[in-house]
Amino acid sequence: MVEEGNTRAIIKKIVPRVFKAALWGFITYLLVYYPLTLIYPFELLPFAYNQLFNVFVTIVVFFAVATKLFSGTILEYAFSIAKTLVIITYFFYVLNGGVISLTVPVSGTTVNLVLDLRTFLSMLIFVNLLALAKSILQATDFLARKVEASQLSVR
Amino acid sequence: MRQVIRALGWATNILWISIILFSITSLYSVTNLDIGIDLEKAQFFPSSEGVVFSLPFHIDNNGYYDISELNITTSVTDCNETLITLSETFVPSIPRGSSVETAHNVSINLKDITSIEFTPLLFSDSFFDLGTFITLNFAHAIPFQMSTNATIPWRAPFYGFSIVKVSTLPYNSTHCEVVTSLSFENHAVLDITGTMQLEIYNNINEQVTSGKTSLDVPSRRKYEGEVIMYLDLVDISRLTESGNVRVNFMTPMFILEWWSPYG
Repeated sequence: MVEEGNTRAIIKKIVPRVFKAALWGFITYLLVYYPLTLIYPFELLPFAYNQLFNVFVTIVVFFAVATKLFSGTILEYAFSIAKTLVIITYFFYVLNGGVISLTVPVSGTTVNLVLDLRTFLSMLIFVNLLALAKSILQATDFLARKVEASQLSVR
Repeated sequence: MRQVIRALGWATNILWISIILFSITSLYSVTNLDIGIDLEKAQFFPSSEGVVFSLPFHIDNNGYYDISELNITTSVTDCNETLITLSETFVPSIPRGSSVETAHNVSINLKDITSIEFTPLLFSDSFFDLGTFITLNFAHAIPFQMSTNATIPWRAPFYGFSIVKVSTLPYNSTHCEVVTSLSFENHAVLDITGTMQLEIYNNINEQVTSGKTSLDVPSRRKYEGEVIMYLDLVDISRLTESGNVRVNFMTPMFILEWWSPYG
């Protein structure tokens, strides 16, 4: 009877979280995917870059769901930290370290393009490092509060 | 700590919004940027030093950001990859909303092209490789490079030059006429105007006689003409059935010299 009650309590606690996380994931998908499809130059870029766009959406949605699913726990901040690190790696990979080289056929001739996005990449990394710092501070704050609360309850 | 976290949150959000706005406006600007190299309108035209290859291009900056330090470098090499000319065009700034419509001119100095290294180009058509290298700075933050290669035809001014015939005709009691028939096609875009001097050498490389004529061959026309020289009847035995002709073509700008066999 006690075990059944516990299971029910756990389900009662988990199911709304899962629904909330799924809903949040869906909203994130809508907010990220559709606005980006409007500005992302699919026709200008090679197929591989278009696939990387889907990878970005997947990363963002996955971490949105994960952080929501574990909100109120230390894992929420762990996922936030992981998200910033994964996104930094993603941008570094997608932007080829900041220098993108493309070969485009234009009216019978081959045009080689080299785009130096190192300044832009630095901006992206800087913002993500700020987000990383924020997540670490949030995690520290969360743990500090938890320790404080446990010490108060012991007293 | 909470205030620091809040400040970091605000800073992150503001920076993300700035980056997203910059990305959107940059993409919009790039898609509205009209850069065109009109290879079909590329042409040769004569100049005081030789010929100029004109490569028209235009840039309409309809975006939100300035374009600066536009540098266009063009190199022309012959089919053996020997550098013929290197030209550069620099546009310091193309502010947003403005456009540049100009031509990148590649000067080919005929003094250079008529050097021994390039002499075959005078007699046979060929192709030049035109390498174009463009660099610019977008929004003062994103350097951009573009390079392309194209092949352009070279039309020889003395295409198929040959001494058709060297014959003698009686002139007077002491001299005879040496009539040298020559032909070539002027495939070049510029007219050939100058003086041609011929020196006939026999098969033991002794100069026999010489003479000159003035030439005015329009572009894309065939020339067939005769140069009449005079030879002392005493020396007529020195004129052999075969030999070489030293050709000097002189214009106010340059002098060409080459050898052509006869007989």
